[in-house]
Amino acid sequence: MTIAPPRRAPGRAAALPGSPGPRSRKPRRVFAAVMLTPALLGLVIFFVYPLIASVYFSFTRYDLVSDPEWIGWRNYEYLFTKDPKVWTAALNTLWFVVFLTPTKIVTALCVAGLLARAKRAAGFWRTLFYLPALVPPVASVVSFVFLFNPGTGPVNQILSFFGIDGPLWFNDPSLAKPSLLLLGIWVMGDIMVIFLAALLDVPTEQYEAASLDGANGAQKVRYVTLPNIVPVLIFALITGIIAALQYFTEAAVASGVASGKATVGEGTGMTLGYPNGSLLTFTEWLYVRGFANYQLGYASALAVLLFVVAAVFLVLLLRKVSAFNPESRS
Amino acid sequence: MTMTETRRLTAGDVPKRTRVRGRKSWLLWVAENSILCALGVIFIAPVIFVFLTSLMSSDQTLTGALLPDPWRWQNYADAFTGTPLVRWFGNSALYAVLATVFMLLSSVPAAYVLAKIRIPFANVIFVAIIVAMLLPPQVTAVPVYIMWAKLNLTGTLWPLILPNLLGDAFSIFLLRQFFLTIPTEYIDAARMDGCSEWKVLVRVAVPMAKPGIAAAGIFLFFKAWNDYFGPLLYASEDPSWWPVSYALATFRGTHGTDWGLTMALTMLVMVPVVIVFFFAQRTFVEGITLSGVKG
Amino acid sequence: MQQRSHSRGRIAAAAIATAVVLTGCSSGGSSADIADSAPKKLEGTVSLWHFFSDREADVIQGVIDDFEEANPGVTVDVHSGQDDEKVRKVIASGGDIDVALSYSTAVVGNFCSTGAFQDLGPYIERDNVDMGEFSDTVKSYSEYEGTRCAMPVLADVNALYYNKDILDEAGVTEIPTTLEGLEELALELTEYNDDGSIKRLGFNPFMGMYENSPAHFGPAVGGQWLNDEGYSAIGSDEGWPVLMEWQKDFVDTIGYDKLQAFTAGLGQEFSANNAFHTGQLAMVVDGEYRTAFIDDQAPDLNYGTAPFPTAKGYEDLYGAGYIVGNIAGIAKGSKHPELAWALLKYLSTDTDALVKMANGLKNVPTTTSALESPDLEVTEQYQTFIDIALNPKTTTTPPSPVGAGYEQAFGDYWTKYQAGDGGDLAKGLAEVDKQINDSIDLVSGP
Repeated sequence: MTIAPPRRAPGRAAALPGSPGPRSRKPRRVFAAVMLTPALLGLVIFFVYPLIASVYFSFTRYDLVSDPEWIGWRNYEYLFTKDPKVWTAALNTLWFVVFLTPTKIVTALCVAGLLARAKRAAGFWRTLFYLPALVPPVASVVSFVFLFNPGTGPVNQILSFFGIDGPLWFNDPSLAKPSLLLLGIWVMGDIMVIFLAALLDVPTEQYEAASLDGANGAQKVRYVTLPNIVPVLIFALITGIIAALQYFTEAAVASGVASGKATVGEGTGMTLGYPNGSLLTFTEWLYVRGFANYQLGYASALAVLLFVVAAVFLVLLLRKVSAFNPESRS
Repeated sequence: MTMTETRRLTAGDVPKRTRVRGRKSWLLWVAENSILCALGVIFIAPVIFVFLTSLMSSDQTLTGALLPDPWRWQNYADAFTGTPLVRWFGNSALYAVLATVFMLLSSVPAAYVLAKIRIPFANVIFVAIIVAMLLPPQVTAVPVYIMWAKLNLTGTLWPLILPNLLGDAFSIFLLRQFFLTIPTEYIDAARMDGCSEWKVLVRVAVPMAKPGIAAAGIFLFFKAWNDYFGPLLYASEDPSWWPVSYALATFRGTHGTDWGLTMALTMLVMVPVVIVFFFAQRTFVEGITLSGVKG
Repeated sequence: MQQRSHSRGRIAAAAIATAVVLTGCSSGGSSADIADSAPKKLEGTVSLWHFFSDREADVIQGVIDDFEEANPGVTVDVHSGQDDEKVRKVIASGGDIDVALSYSTAVVGNFCSTGAFQDLGPYIERDNVDMGEFSDTVKSYSEYEGTRCAMPVLADVNALYYNKDILDEAGVTEIPTTLEGLEELALELTEYNDDGSIKRLGFNPFMGMYENSPAHFGPAVGGQWLNDEGYSAIGSDEGWPVLMEWQKDFVDTIGYDKLQAFTAGLGQEFSANNAFHTGQLAMVVDGEYRTAFIDDQAPDLNYGTAPFPTAKGYEDLYGAGYIVGNIAGIAKGSKHPELAWALLKYLSTDTDALVKMANGLKNVPTTTSALESPDLEVTEQYQTFIDIALNPKTTTTPPSPVGAGYEQAFGDYWTKYQAGDGGDLAKGLAEVDKQINDSIDLVSGP
């Protein structure tokens, strides 16, 4: 999910919606109510109710087989003082928030910059760099884990051709996350396309004016390009952070494939985090406790914690980004 | 306007600038293109290696060889005969198509109302939608799962499809942003002509928001097509409901499958998306870019 | 792979459910009010969920066909390839499940204590099932705190496999009976490529590879899991550190990175490319079912089996091993409990069925009658496993309310320890104890 903020839409009248029409307002109100009802129901059923229910469940012991049993703060006490992996998981997620998004953005921006200057075959290059972003994440992860297999993968085969002893990549606890970073770079195409559009959108006159003022290349980038694309950048950063907070698929599939374990008998939860918990993200831990161990009460406590953390991010975001402001009529 | 920007982009040309001048610029040009070529090779290499591996026998994949010997096209036939691949693709299509259609049915009108009709509590609703859209889905997973369990619908993809009938927060947000860009004058003019509200939506607003609707549709379609967490949670116990993405992640672990077949499956999972892209490249890039710019 | 679709009707159901109000999930007949006698004639459909896939699923299907033939009017809806995680999900969500067959006893404690599996006591009593057919160990791992909620259906036993050709080539005639001997021989049989990477390993000590797990190495020191109170005994056991230090030292002798790279490049465990089949591993610890995989996937392999070696000071344990059962139970909410019980009884006590499954899967039968049956096909390699199963010192992993949670916590620490990140061993194991006890308290404490 990549979305960028609205840019000033030129030539748009600031007319307020719903300005008095020729007819009575009443049918319009009815129409609005009817059209909104499904979405409002959806918000209540799939958002408001589950949030409240999660808080309730977080004070219970619940396995779905027997009825929930009220155990007070026990889940939270366990979460904050005893859970052996929750902090590992939280730190791993934080790692992805801090490194994955900026890395993707910087790479995407560099490639977009190159493409914006490319005179020939710009369309070809754009397609080439964009295509990996289209590959379903599961397929790209499976591919990468194979390519980086320390024993038989092509990457280490090629490295050994140059006399380099390749590292263990997805099988090394200290390299597993950086390996996923490489994957993140490979699939940066969707952000890149948006950056490219923003770069090409920078008015040529501004560059010309800067040239007249005697600006060199770096100064043009600093004083012309950047200010023009800052809104797109901020938006890519924010949506990237949100995506990193829920990082699940790539880490889960990478662990499963790299561990080489047959999941026969035990289940997906067994391999999550491989190697040595280095890929265990917070959302994975929630899945393990909730749906592999069936401790739904405890998983709800984790969900409440995740909600609180995400909410802090959201409050900051809602202020910063004009598109999220209900009053903004971009 | 944005439309023209994207058109320029899709056409693949760039703003006319002054021609290359001087040695320094030429060196820069060489440098840039070398970097592009090098990057291009790196970006295309994974797909090529996956393709080559998909043609190896399972014994050979474990030897670290880079080229197949012999070229085993049989892997692709095996992928179809040895796995319920067609069914998996069917499930993915069912999930993605129905989710997208349902989302559009429910979210387009809601987004239109939020953008163009003054209603009470509009701000509250909008903020709720933003929060719902930005929250990790795992936050609400437990109670929602319990709900579907009580409806006896776990073990299928329906828990992932049906909620779209009740709107999708991100799609509503995106669509609202598009409807906002439609000048209210058009809508008022239609009302003057005696159109009912419904007709204003269908005849005026929707046609004008077509690129936006396409963008929202493409987003949701791919979100569903690529979904892993959803099927893991709801459909993992019934292989006849697996979508192809989930199946690919799971198949190697549950069956004695080696890399040759796995890579053939991986190629087969990639291909449809790429084919769709080449047929609808324009709508695609336009949609992605528009959503980026308008979102 | 057999997947019998049961989803057709659900599409219609789903469409209706959209508009339907929440209905409570129906929780079928509880075990207390069962009929006074077994029904004379069985009719209907009963669903069986099991973990086998591919060839092994075909074996199970063969026995199911026999059951259906013997009970005309009964259809068994088979769901193969189902792991514990999924089975629990289906039971918890009130799905269509009557009998579940799990690969291990790990679920027994959890499924019994939560009620996910029904109490079978009343059925056993009513139908006079002879529980004396099962050994005490087998009985112990299929019940929890006095509640029998599962029946044993065959068992898995682990032992050492060795490639005779490789050993012959090296002139080795003695199979090692001590860990030191195993390591020495393993290093002797190990070969390297020109670039220094491993070509063939005598024995791969890497924790986490294939069947390398604390449970399968444990018999070398008779490692204890839980104490009488049901809490972790790992940290206070004298054997575990001995075993772990030996294993870590072995790993370091070859080199962690080299081993990891080699291990990651091996074929999938249940594929024809299993490294023992291909000769990349000269010796390996594995279950008796491997003999069936070898018959099927590598019939030319010349191999033998022996009990897993023991550590110094634990020589008296040689000949014993680790046993763990496949177990089956009746799911909570089963809509056809009588059919489920009939199927369960057939799978767990019918001698013909057990022998047929044992011959096909090469698993160890769990009843005396099946073990003594003349129809049981016993090869030289398979005999080792039967001997271990009958050895009184053979141990198992006890049921607990956290299921396999304690094995996982230990395994997690062990993999960290072998990588050199485990810190002080005694402290690390004490921490493992604490983790296990905390999680037991969370799910079952007062």
